[in-house]
Formats: sequence, structure tokens, C-alpha cells
Amino acid sequence: MAGPNVSANPRSAAAAVLAAALLVGAVSASAEPVKHLLPRDYAARVVAGKKGRVLVVNFWATWCEPCREEMPDLVAAARKFPSRDLAVTLVSLDSQKTGPTQVPKFLKEQKVPFVCWLAKSRDPQDFIDTVDRTWDGSLPYTLIYGRDGKIAARLSGLQTEASFTEAIRRAVGAK
Amino acid sequence: MKTPRLALALLGTTLALACTAPAEPPAAPKIGAVAPDFTLPPAAGGEAVALKDLLGKSKAVVVIFDATKCPYAKGYKERVAAMGKEYAAKGITFVTINSNKTEPAAEVADDAKKHGFAFPVLKDEGNRVADLYGAQKTPEIYVLDPKGTLLYRGRIDETHDDPKNVKSPDLINALEAILAGKPVPAAETKAFGCTIKRV
Repeated sequence: MAGPNVSANPRSAAAAVLAAALLVGAVSASAEPVKHLLPRDYAARVVAGKKGRVLVVNFWATWCEPCREEMPDLVAAARKFPSRDLAVTLVSLDSQKTGPTQVPKFLKEQKVPFVCWLAKSRDPQDFIDTVDRTWDGSLPYTLIYGRDGKIAARLSGLQTEASFTEAIRRAVGAK
Repeated sequence: MKTPRLALALLGTTLALACTAPAEPPAAPKIGAVAPDFTLPPAAGGEAVALKDLLGKSKAVVVIFDATKCPYAKGYKERVAAMGKEYAAKGITFVTINSNKTEPAAEVADDAKKHGFAFPVLKDEGNRVADLYGAQKTPEIYVLDPKGTLLYRGRIDETHDDPKNVKSPDLINALEAILAGKPVPAAETKAFGCTIKRV
């Protein structure tokens, strides 16, 4: 017996296309130019708009070797989740002098599709404490927010695709 | 009878797991508590250096977890070298510790020589001392009094790449307070840094 012929069924074809789009939705957005992020804007600009979905915020810098090393793993892990469940945002701690050129260059070369902010803070302690008081400022650092907008997990240091995936999966599956 | 055998097997498994479970690392020292003692070899070789010996001849000891490649640590090399000299004359001893598995002792020694560090530069193979101190990144500073009590933990100041515009010289403020016999104004501070590359 012949299998289903998708081309003969427009509704099936449309459903298949939509399903594929949703599956890659978490990483389908193109990388945007970096924008400056002040500590006072972190909650409103990075976190608030993503309630209802799990949000991964990765703090990194182009000069940080483990940050660069784990970036492809973060991309790979994010691909496993539909955009209705997961959003990913990057926050670069590159300097104000080099960040505006180095960050987009790296993201483009590595084909990293996430939105990236460039942290701007006269005193790093202000930024660190605004984001997470338990964070000591070490990079790389990843926060995973649950659908309720609260921190569900903290990942400090170099991660792997498996550790990112596991942490995201727990947050996505949490009630 | 299977039940007693099963119970014995479970008991045996539990005991085995308990005996092989890794011990919890000691908690990182809190401000006001005595910091762990340590003895480490110099990166350049030679006789090991014991913290208690440094404490015994200093008004305070500044322990800096350092790195050779981390931009945050590199941004402070000149300041650390200068402060090390300045405060040695006032009875305060600086010591840097490299716990990065990716930075061999020879590289650490060369880096220290290049930057003119005139104080002990130690290599912490296996990041044992970093674990004892709960040090997570570089640079990370711990200031101890002669009894080993932790008086300050955190950063040197707020800007690694703009030394002419420092507004919050936290380590200097801590050292000056200690020398004056006063409480450290801000005993814990934070800054960005590179995670220590642990084994």
C-alpha cells in the first residue's frame, strides 16, 4: 500500500510546514545588532516580555574562551524546543569600546541567531546584583527563567549541549 | 527466603554508596571566619610557601586568585604589582595563586616576572586551594588578618580596563582601614571575572 502523498493533500503540507517552523522557531530569528543594556532595564527589556515561555539568558563575552566554546552547544540545545516554549537571549560583557563590532562579528561568524544585548554599567556590581544577587560575576553564566518569570536554574561555568538541554527540559516541563 | 536476602542486598548497596560517596567540599570562608591554611609551591619552583608563615610576619595577607590569560585579571596586573610593592613597605603581604588547569606553572612564572610581581606567586595544581576558598573566578581577592580571619573578599576596584578613572578602590579602602585599625567599609564586593578552569 502506498504511503500518504503530502503533495496531494494541501492541508497536510501546510500542517507539516507549520510544524517545522514551530520546531525551529526558538532559533529561527536572525541575530540583531547589539543594543546597550543598563542594569535598570534588565528586568523590563530582557525578562518581562517572555513570561509564559521558558527564557534562557546567557552572559558571555567574546574574549571568554569557555563562553565561545559553549555557544554552539547552546544553539544546538535551543533547537530542540519550539519557540512557543523557549526564548533565548544573550547578554555580552564585552567592553563598550570593542563590543559593538566584536560581538556582531562573532555572532555572525558562528551563526548564532539569538538577540544579544551589550551590558553597560559603570560599576559591574550594580549589574551583577540586579541580575542575580547570588551570582559572583564569573563568566560564562546562564540563567533559566521559568514560565512564571522566576529564576528556575543557574548554570555557572562551561556548559555542554547535554547540560543546557537538561536544564531547559526541566524548566519547560515544570508546572 | 528472598526477603532477608533482598534486605541484605539493599543494606549492602546503601553502605557501599555511603562509603564511596564523595565528601562535601568545605564551605567557603565567610567574613569574620578563619580562612583555610594552605601550603603551595611557587610557580617558578623552589620551596613551598605556607600561608601561616606569611600571616606570622604580616599585618595582613592579600590572597589573589589570578590568571595569565583572563582579560579581567590582565587588566589589573600593573595595579597589583604596584600595590604589592607599596603595601609590602607597610607590612602587608600580597600572594597570587593560579588554579587554572589550562595555565602551567612555567607560564604563570613568566607572566609574574613580566609584570614585576615582587611577592609569592603560587601554583594550585588540582585547584585544591581554590575549592577551599570557594574561589570561582579571576581575579578574586581575600584579605586575611594575622590570625587568618577573613576581613575582605571581592574585587580590586570597579574597573579592570580604566585604571585612571577608578571611583571605588575597594581593596585599597580595605587595606587602609586595616592599617588604621578600623572596620573594613565594604567587606564584600563583586566584579566580573573569568571562571577558574578547574580539573
